[in-house]
Amino acid sequence: MGVLKGGLSVRRYRASEPPEGFRDLYTAALEDNAFRDALTEVHKEQRVGWVQVHNLLDNSFLDTNRWLYNHYAVFAMRIDKKVLPAKLFGAHLEKRCQTWCRENNRERCPSKVKTELKEALEMEMLLKTLPSVAVHEVAWNLNEGWVIFHNQSEVPNDTFRKLFHRTFGMALVPHDPLDFVASEPDIANALVSGGASDLRMEPR
Amino acid sequence: MSEHEENEGAPPHVAGEFFLWLWYQSETGQGRVDFGEEGGTVEYWVDDRISFRAVGEDKVSAIMTGDNPSLTPEAHAALAGGKVIRDVRLALRREDREYTVTLKAPRIEIAAAKLPALVKSGDDGEVLYERMFLYEELHFILGGLFRAFAAARCADEWRERTLPDLRRWVAAGPGGAGPLDAEAEAS
Repeated sequence: MGVLKGGLSVRRYRASEPPEGFRDLYTAALEDNAFRDALTEVHKEQRVGWVQVHNLLDNSFLDTNRWLYNHYAVFAMRIDKKVLPAKLFGAHLEKRCQTWCRENNRERCPSKVKTELKEALEMEMLLKTLPSVAVHEVAWNLNEGWVIFHNQSEVPNDTFRKLFHRTFGMALVPHDPLDFVASEPDIANALVSGGASDLRMEPR
Repeated sequence: MSEHEENEGAPPHVAGEFFLWLWYQSETGQGRVDFGEEGGTVEYWVDDRISFRAVGEDKVSAIMTGDNPSLTPEAHAALAGGKVIRDVRLALRREDREYTVTLKAPRIEIAAAKLPALVKSGDDGEVLYERMFLYEELHFILGGLFRAFAAARCADEWRERTLPDLRRWVAAGPGGAGPLDAEAEAS
């Protein structure tokens, strides 16, 4: 599913005109905001950045032939996040608390100890856990000023707009049905001011 | 920049009414729009899915799927019961190119669009240009259909004729009174 193959499910945005010399500027901007792996295996915060559409492991944009096709810029947003399985984590933590109580001849595990056990277990499990990886493709028509983002959920779209703004310094405006009648303001205004049609039969 | 940019955009009922208008037009034999000399003619019909929501809610409250869901009594009953269309799967044909696409309210977003494949293989550039051409054509078609709807919706005729026709069609059920039937009834 995506820009190059499969079904298209996209949210469309309007973008500003790219500046003079955008090719070099945008190459640098994409490089600066490319996806980077976490420095440590125990990093659990979400990581976001750009990758090539061809392979989510390719995060270099120095070769413009890999992302700029005439007036189309094509790349993808990658989001990684490590999430521990909550039930398994809880079960392991309970076992460790029980072991601590047995070894220390105590009936209950103090909250300070429990916190320490929890942190240690979290580190241990994060080392063994692979991140969940999401990749959403982007196609940008630089001549006509529109961008399509291959996802329609609110959270990824918000993340996308923020990353796009941080990278290219421009705010994206979501497409609205009224854009279809932008050249006919009277009709657009009439659609906005007219109420909904009532389809129920009028009483005879 | 468009005129409405500072406004909040189209009210939520607009997309639902657009979908209803498309459904009504296609079921009453008017599912064809002429885009003029450059645009050619586009035919459209409801494909295999319509979903409904209650007014003021976003969640789907009824879904009709399968062959000709628009011709089921349940679909008409949903409308008659005051539900509005949340998304609709349409088939569109322009020249020899046929698209199927789910249109989602309120933004009229393109989902699960199946584009006609012209180039079966080729390098990434070739495939991209073709798919972008097809995507843009689909967007162009939807824009044309929306403008036709908007012109009809804002004309005096909407309240005087189209809306009463729509009400009769909803009440009559599948295959029921379109404008031609209504004229026959009147005569």
